[in-house]
Amino acid sequence: MKPRAPDLRALRLVVCLGPGGVGKTTLSAALAVHGATLGRGVDVMTVDPAPRLLDALGLDAAGAGPHEVPLDRIKAPRARAACGAPKTRLRALRLDPKTTFDSIVARHAPSDAARAAILENRIYRNLSNALAGVADYMAMEKLLELSGDPGTELIVLDTPPASEALDFLDAPRRMLELLNSRAISLLGAPAGIFRGRLRVVDLAARAVLAAFDRITGLNMLADVHSFVQSFDGMYQGFADRAKAAEALLRAPGTAIVMVTTAEAARVEQAREFVAALERAGLSVAAMVVNRVMEDLPDEGEIAAAKISPALKRKLRRNRADFAALKEREAISLGALRATLPTGAALMVMPELNREPRMIADLAELGGLLRAV
Amino acid sequence: MTLPRLLFVTGKGGTGKSTIAAALAIALSRRRPTTLADLDRRLAAATILGATPAGAAPACVNDRLDVIALSARAELESFIERIVPVRAISRRMLRSRTFGYVTAALPGLEAFLLVERLRMMAGDAALQDRAVVVDAPASGSALELLSIARGVRGIAPVGTLGHLADNVEAFLADRQRFGVVLTVVPEELALKEALESAATLRERLGIAVVAAIVNRAPSALFEAAELAALGGLPRHASLANRRRSAHQFAAHARRELAAAGLRAFELPMLYTAAVGKREVHTLGRALAAQLADR
Repeated sequence: MKPRAPDLRALRLVVCLGPGGVGKTTLSAALAVHGATLGRGVDVMTVDPAPRLLDALGLDAAGAGPHEVPLDRIKAPRARAACGAPKTRLRALRLDPKTTFDSIVARHAPSDAARAAILENRIYRNLSNALAGVADYMAMEKLLELSGDPGTELIVLDTPPASEALDFLDAPRRMLELLNSRAISLLGAPAGIFRGRLRVVDLAARAVLAAFDRITGLNMLADVHSFVQSFDGMYQGFADRAKAAEALLRAPGTAIVMVTTAEAARVEQAREFVAALERAGLSVAAMVVNRVMEDLPDEGEIAAAKISPALKRKLRRNRADFAALKEREAISLGALRATLPTGAALMVMPELNREPRMIADLAELGGLLRAV
Repeated sequence: MTLPRLLFVTGKGGTGKSTIAAALAIALSRRRPTTLADLDRRLAAATILGATPAGAAPACVNDRLDVIALSARAELESFIERIVPVRAISRRMLRSRTFGYVTAALPGLEAFLLVERLRMMAGDAALQDRAVVVDAPASGSALELLSIARGVRGIAPVGTLGHLADNVEAFLADRQRFGVVLTVVPEELALKEALESAATLRERLGIAVVAAIVNRAPSALFEAAELAALGGLPRHASLANRRRSAHQFAAHARRELAAAGLRAFELPMLYTAAVGKREVHTLGRALAAQLADR
């Protein structure tokens, strides 16, 4: 029996994962719009959307908070009927990791002085800008915030471009580990957040790190030390959030959707992602292949048409050329199907041949997604 | 045309960077021995050439072309081994989680060392009169990689790293040694990203963009009048239209790139069921011919 495609009528959270450049953001937006046309209260969180998509969702560069997207321009009859449903709505927001991180610090910091110390710290500034994991963690953080909203029935989450699938899902654990690690004890953290005993090996490593600091000219141990100290007292807040995020990802109403295109390199990457998720005990509800070519027109039509023989030859050649591309795509889809874990649906999203410019385009795309 | 010693190939995700890097390496290897440096963990460019470099050793494709795999992690390891000469200690440091967190908190130390490695490769290549082609990450990460030397100089103005950062910045700004090749496909977003990357590279980072390569450009096949005659075959007409508009967009992209002061090359769309060694050699020949023309 073919596995069932995830049902947007019943789910609470859809997480779109996948390699960069496959159209994750557009797909997330299309799923969200589709969810709203089914009458649900939907929030979609996007990461780094293209300008046209921003337009389509009515999100401009300035807007950080959730923004209501008007649904009255969607022509689908189902949507119009659904607009009467009490909770129907679509809100969109874009993730800004730096601002989110700053606001978490502000929320958890025990005092104004502690907050200022963290925000000014060189390590924090580097950490919050440069570390890809921070964006991942912040997406999780925002997700928890949204899931607490009573008007939100379904959240569609677009994830930051990742080279590894687990980068995103693993973010809360890694953040906790960073705050709770031996690194912190080694670098001279106060005993309050230090769990476990310092070993002789660690003392040696500490001496080596000090030497490294001197040789490289980084002079950063002092900064790390004060960073860690300023985080003292915030650990519990982070730990609670991380635990809640972890639980949400494994909740029954959550579907992890792997997005890819049919290009060989992307397919390979998507398969690796799925395998890594399986190893971590997370199952993928669906593999969505984006931008799949439409079916080819019938070759027989050409012979019957009243056009010049030269044009007929060109049409046959054009069809044969596209048939080769279609075959390339079929090989990729076959490879994906062969390695798909049990219970995961294989779905395709046809190529629209134009960029979605309006909310109606997204609604159209959302309706085109189908299991194969 | 005269090219810098090292060509750094980047572009929007999905524009065929790895295929183009491999084709470019093939084209350059007709003139002088060439090394393809593959920065992708999955070694897509190496694989398409049928080479499997293991560890730090290069793998030969033929007597004029070899492939080497580079990773940020390996560069960090060799850097640590250089500055902490006692092996037992450097090994222990690399294994320690603590150290992992310290390096993670640094803004791109590993990535910086990777660019430093490219600088050394370009130096060696100049001595042996070799060319180097780099299959770099997609433009977002690539721009980060190329601006990292500045960040490192900001946090470590003195000491070993600060000194390296000065050298790396000079290398990236040197037109004889370093240049970027941008990959584009006939799509609006890909073109936009290439134009933006070119502007950032030149204006903000002072890095030369050697060329832009418009990949997957189909031949037109149909005249406008012919398309008008296809009213009775709407689905065939749509397929024909698609081909012709991609062809026209490719021409438009070449004009836009030229207007931005970039030399634009073009590679044909390959209508084949697979893209493998034979196809990448076809593209390599096409590039070699265009390079010889300039």
